[in-house]
Amino acid sequence: MYEMNRRQAMAAVGAFLALAACSTDGGSGDSGEAKKSDDFAANRDGAMSDYAAGKQFTAAAPLTFGILYNNHPFYPLKKDWLFWSELTKRTNVTLEPNVVPLSDYENKRSLLIGAGDAPMIIPKTYPGQETPFVASGAILPVSDYIDLMPNFKEKIARWNLEPDLDTIRQADGQFYLLPGLHEDYWVDYSLAIRADILDELGLEIPQTLDDLHNVLKAMKEKYPDSYPFSDRWSNPTPGGALLNQILGLAYGAHGGWGYLNGVTWDHTAQKFAYTGAMEQYKQMLQFLHTLVEEKLMDPESFTQQDDQAIQKLVSGKSFVISTNAQTLVNEYRPPLKKANPKAKLIKIPVPIGPLGPVKADATTTRLENGIMISKKARDSKNFVAMMQFIDWLWYSDEGQVFAKWGIEGTTFTKDASGKYQLAEDVDFVGLNPDASKHLQKDFGFSNGVFAYGGTTELLQSTFSEEEIEFQKVMNAREALPPAPPRPLTDEEREQASLWETPLKDHATQNTLNFILGKRSFDEWDAYVQELEAKNMSAYINLMNNAHERYKKEHG
Amino acid sequence: MVTVDRTRGYQIFRVINTLVLTGVLVVTLYPFVNIVARSFSDEFAIRAGKVNLFPVGFTFRTYEYVASDPTFWTNYRNTVVYTVVATAIAMFMTTCYAYVLSKRHLKGRKILIGIAVFTMFFSGGLIPNYILISSLGFTNSIWSIVLPNAISVFNLLVMKAFFEGMPTDLEEAAAIDGMNTYGILLRIVLPLSKAVLATMVLFYAVSFWNSWFAAFLYMSQSDLFPVTVYLRNLIAGATTGTSVGADATDLTVATNIKSVTMVLTVIPILVVYPFVQRYFVKGVMLGAVKG
Repeated sequence: MYEMNRRQAMAAVGAFLALAACSTDGGSGDSGEAKKSDDFAANRDGAMSDYAAGKQFTAAAPLTFGILYNNHPFYPLKKDWLFWSELTKRTNVTLEPNVVPLSDYENKRSLLIGAGDAPMIIPKTYPGQETPFVASGAILPVSDYIDLMPNFKEKIARWNLEPDLDTIRQADGQFYLLPGLHEDYWVDYSLAIRADILDELGLEIPQTLDDLHNVLKAMKEKYPDSYPFSDRWSNPTPGGALLNQILGLAYGAHGGWGYLNGVTWDHTAQKFAYTGAMEQYKQMLQFLHTLVEEKLMDPESFTQQDDQAIQKLVSGKSFVISTNAQTLVNEYRPPLKKANPKAKLIKIPVPIGPLGPVKADATTTRLENGIMISKKARDSKNFVAMMQFIDWLWYSDEGQVFAKWGIEGTTFTKDASGKYQLAEDVDFVGLNPDASKHLQKDFGFSNGVFAYGGTTELLQSTFSEEEIEFQKVMNAREALPPAPPRPLTDEEREQASLWETPLKDHATQNTLNFILGKRSFDEWDAYVQELEAKNMSAYINLMNNAHERYKKEHG
Repeated sequence: MVTVDRTRGYQIFRVINTLVLTGVLVVTLYPFVNIVARSFSDEFAIRAGKVNLFPVGFTFRTYEYVASDPTFWTNYRNTVVYTVVATAIAMFMTTCYAYVLSKRHLKGRKILIGIAVFTMFFSGGLIPNYILISSLGFTNSIWSIVLPNAISVFNLLVMKAFFEGMPTDLEEAAAIDGMNTYGILLRIVLPLSKAVLATMVLFYAVSFWNSWFAAFLYMSQSDLFPVTVYLRNLIAGATTGTSVGADATDLTVATNIKSVTMVLTVIPILVVYPFVQRYFVKGVMLGAVKG
């Protein structure tokens, strides 16, 4: 019975968000216009008058800010973390976390914003997730206030992030999210492959998808009972990483986790296209279908649980699997070593496909999850101080090192060459496995709420030698410019969301059918016709028109 | 003379019945046994898929690890407190309301029933509820959990039907002997209703023990959460593709730790069930048949 209530409740959140556009919500929408965005006379309490990039922020008076806190089960919040006390010491700011379990963070965030009860700082919001709240008027258009954030501005300029930032602009030309910023594209996902088997067969590490195909064939020949490739990350989204970061990048059409709303920028045509009907997408499915048909790939790859896929890898029933830096070290190698001491598993550079050697296509940006600010914060007398504080903690070099590594001499040391080293009694991502304390669990640093983005040097400071090698190979590849903005108006968004779901359902369902051979590629045109019957063209025209309109209005 | 249970057909039925039910038993029991086995197993053995019915690499270390987390015990204590208080309040409210509704001579009885039943089909919705609770100042307090769900309409109707089935002669006799309404309820009706009371306590206690949503909504400090929220966060982890995809550096919690937490969370319910079960069937059947 409780279940029922919960589901009704969730439906109610959705309904509310649709309705929120109509509500006046205390007239906050008006007050924003009435007040000039650069008039901060009443909002300067506690702020620094000479705050600038590279400068330590310290509030003039002790301040407290509410923050929505995403509580990670691996390092659940502790009040005695060094992070909290040191943060207060350095900035004179105390954060008051509203603790939300990670499992249901998004629901609680919608609820609190909907009820007008959200804390001022709302972090852990991924680009695009802020859109539903824009219409409600509960979220601050932060683009009006980035002059208060020198570090943020400086990084945008230095790393040339304007095109990336354009992707999160709404129809009014504003953006409502302070995203995390990366200096360079960061490719983490790729394939892990058994190097000892490659050696045994006298094969090189596959560079392209064709190489990969040949390697798998050779493996199958030698071990006819195996499926050389058995994949994971298929629940609840089939081919989550494989169709997105790995093959998606090779072909320039993202499925799996990256399918999202099914709209892809086609560089050659300079137009948006429906992902599931693109030629590139078809080619990707054909490649996978060939693997499945030749019994090189486990058909269960797209349905099994992660544990099952790992078990197959560990027991030597498969030799290739999707991976990222962490899972390779934490989930694959230890059990594999126990089961087979001679096994050697390595992460290979993402195999090159028809798109050539790229590290980023139109779908990828250098933006990370970031922070929304409640509209009511604008009226707070500490507004300026809060923006400066956010700028320091999340966007200054010093703040980022602090959030990630902690305090020099206590949790880490830095040698003459600038290389970071954990303190001896502190462990993090398995760097000091015998240490008694943990950087995240016992100190609160490298916390996903506060530590992300930043320079490539900082990002790679926790990477192992082999991972840095991998990054070097990937970084040398080309980055295609991100897709241009195509913000929808409220009515358009409503219309688009009506079309989006049936289209996506049909496309994902048929993705599997094509890969597994339940549907022949002769029927591809028929499949595209079916998408057409579900308003595909109207949907894509909406996107292209929005793009044209934005270009006209905002250049 | 051939009785029913000696006929050939009945014998076959019993064999098949036993087989089918054994199958059901195995299917139902296996996940539990598996979780218990995992909780005592070595993490690598679980990853390698070796753990089925019996622990592999038997160890208590995971239990020690989970037990050493103070948040777990704080949340566990919260669950016990919330369950006990909420069940007590719910029993009081439900009994009072059900007894009143069972009296056919009560004026406006149909309206009172209608008000209760209405809430069974329509609710105010999530955000209005949230605003109500927070305006009452209940957020971050036990009241946000124990008050909003104090009357479950289903339980109320079962109880009302039970009271209606009680012979009115008994109550009349008590009244003639000089007892007032409260005396009748406390000394006559309730002692005769142990079956339904035990069932209701079980229903309420289990639902409060398992509930996490109210606490998730109204609590914003981790030391106020019940253990179910703790458990859910541990097991569900990141639920969406975006968060799975982007949080590459985030670590997942090991399977054996999840198993231990699950075992520790269900134990109290498993222990209580057998003792209440004999009332359980009787109580619900009485309510259902005589209603």
